[in-house]
Amino acid sequence: MLPQLVVSGLAQGVLYALVALSMTMVYRATTVVNFGHGDLVMGGAFVVYVLVVYAHLPYLLGGLLALTILFALGVGIHQGLMRRIMTGPHLAIAMMALAVGYGLRGGARVLWGREVLPFPRIFPDHAWMLGDVVVTSDNLIVSGTVLGLMAVLFVLFNVTRTGRLLQAVFQSQRGAALVGLNVDAVHRVMWGVGAALAALGGVLLAPITLLYPDMGVWVLVRGFAAMTLGGFGTLHGAVLGGLILGVVELVLGAYVSTAFIDISAYVVVIAVLLLRPDGLFGQQVVVRV
Amino acid sequence: MPGALPAPVVGRPALGRWVFLLVPLLVLPVPFFVNRYIQYVLNLILVYVLVGVGFNIVIGNLGQLAFANVALFGLGAYASGILVVHAGWPWWTTVIPAGLVGALAGALASLPALRRIRLFYLAIMTMAFGELMRWIYIRAEPLTNGSMGLAVPPPVLLGVRLSSDRSKFYVFLALAVLAVVLTSSLLRSRFGRAFMAIRDNELAAAAVGIPTDRYFILAFAWSGFVVGVGGAMYTALVGHVTPEAFNLLELILHFAVVMVGGLASLAGSVIGAVVLTTTPELFRGFPGVQELVLALLIVGVLLFLPRGLVSLLSLRLPLFRERYYRE
Repeated sequence: MLPQLVVSGLAQGVLYALVALSMTMVYRATTVVNFGHGDLVMGGAFVVYVLVVYAHLPYLLGGLLALTILFALGVGIHQGLMRRIMTGPHLAIAMMALAVGYGLRGGARVLWGREVLPFPRIFPDHAWMLGDVVVTSDNLIVSGTVLGLMAVLFVLFNVTRTGRLLQAVFQSQRGAALVGLNVDAVHRVMWGVGAALAALGGVLLAPITLLYPDMGVWVLVRGFAAMTLGGFGTLHGAVLGGLILGVVELVLGAYVSTAFIDISAYVVVIAVLLLRPDGLFGQQVVVRV
Repeated sequence: MPGALPAPVVGRPALGRWVFLLVPLLVLPVPFFVNRYIQYVLNLILVYVLVGVGFNIVIGNLGQLAFANVALFGLGAYASGILVVHAGWPWWTTVIPAGLVGALAGALASLPALRRIRLFYLAIMTMAFGELMRWIYIRAEPLTNGSMGLAVPPPVLLGVRLSSDRSKFYVFLALAVLAVVLTSSLLRSRFGRAFMAIRDNELAAAAVGIPTDRYFILAFAWSGFVVGVGGAMYTALVGHVTPEAFNLLELILHFAVVMVGGLASLAGSVIGAVVLTTTPELFRGFPGVQELVLALLIVGVLLFLPRGLVSLLSLRLPLFRERYYRE
């Protein structure tokens, strides 16, 4: 039973990892923790729902369009709202992110009411047996997409010139600005990329779960838990944290109590921050007073 | 060590203290001119005065990103409801216990801050705490009646049943005035000045000998007390406590009360409570519109009026000028 739980947990965990990774990228580039990130995931899922179910576009095309639309939305959030208060207090920035998220959620609810939307089956319905372990095609498609994307990002970050520029901004915004990098442009692009990656999460989630306006909260809490567990602000920590969280949820859910499927993420956040605020792979985060 | 603190801020002008009595006196006859529905909304405003005043201490005065306010509100409401339903206490005796439960939970929520967890970390952690509490309300069925909600009989005050909203109004008004007066005293004392010293520069505050840990606990606990009492009032008002009342829509409402009214301003909390209790009532029954309107209000305030509605008043009336908050 345990190998099956681990495989299913990892399949769930790649989605958490994707959400955590996109939040971490926005955070590292702009120092903004986006409390509305889960709602961007929801936004991506709803856009792809509209494009596929109402506009009858093929799933792949709809997904790509959803990514593009959310990219534009992310850039818009930065240009229209965030940039104007970036120099202000942290509280204002957090409030702005939260308010944007609630705005998206409210918008989705205005359009869809309190319904839960089922998505038509898109992915082929296959399952393979590897020994005792069942692997479904959902598992493979979602994990494959996310892992492939992560490999691309890894190469982008570590090999290309753009990646090194980004890393410079991640390390020190002021330093990057001093040596002549256009930090504002980096912020703009990273908001777009962050939102597009969130949308990718939504596009991948849409065919395998039900859609409802509040799904963003579910996603956000798990993204935070993954980030905290792996070490807040580290890219590899976010990915590993997400994978571990996915496994932990299912293993505790099976061996201890089914309640842990719901509350693992909350418990992980609270326990990690209290016991080991740096997470498993993080640097020092505490404020020394 | 009061001597080590920055020079004490001089008290408000004499008129300032009278406002605490003047405004409540002016609203005393109001219940005789309004219908039952408006009376209900007025009572709800008084509940949110306590919510806003309590929340503002932590985010406005202490300057901490804590998201646990809805949990404190819910715990106060459930504490009062459970004591009335299961222990058979009259409602008025549950007000202080509800406040104490809120205070205890508030102090608990400040524990991460003592581990030097600040900013986003604190926000994430308290948000997890709040959502965990909602899960517990649903699961602790023997006490809370789960997602069906706990039906609470009309409140009893010293043997008198407060079945009408009008009679509740006067009790709520007294509690709200008390909460505002006590909080105002706290904020003008050396405790309050210490809160604001911590907000403006925690390191400097610690360096001049302010025991920051103790003040963190105090601010969170007092905030929890006020909000917990607000929860008890909420139970008396609606008579039916459900887990759904403490969801994330409620969280943005609490934020909006503080941000739209005015950060770190008692008058702002009151104004925020008035504006934000009436606005969502207008959109009741249109799913999503409430969230949209609250979000737009917050975005608008952040972009164009960062000190909230109260800053419009303080431009004209020196009475409302906040002495404890400088940009």
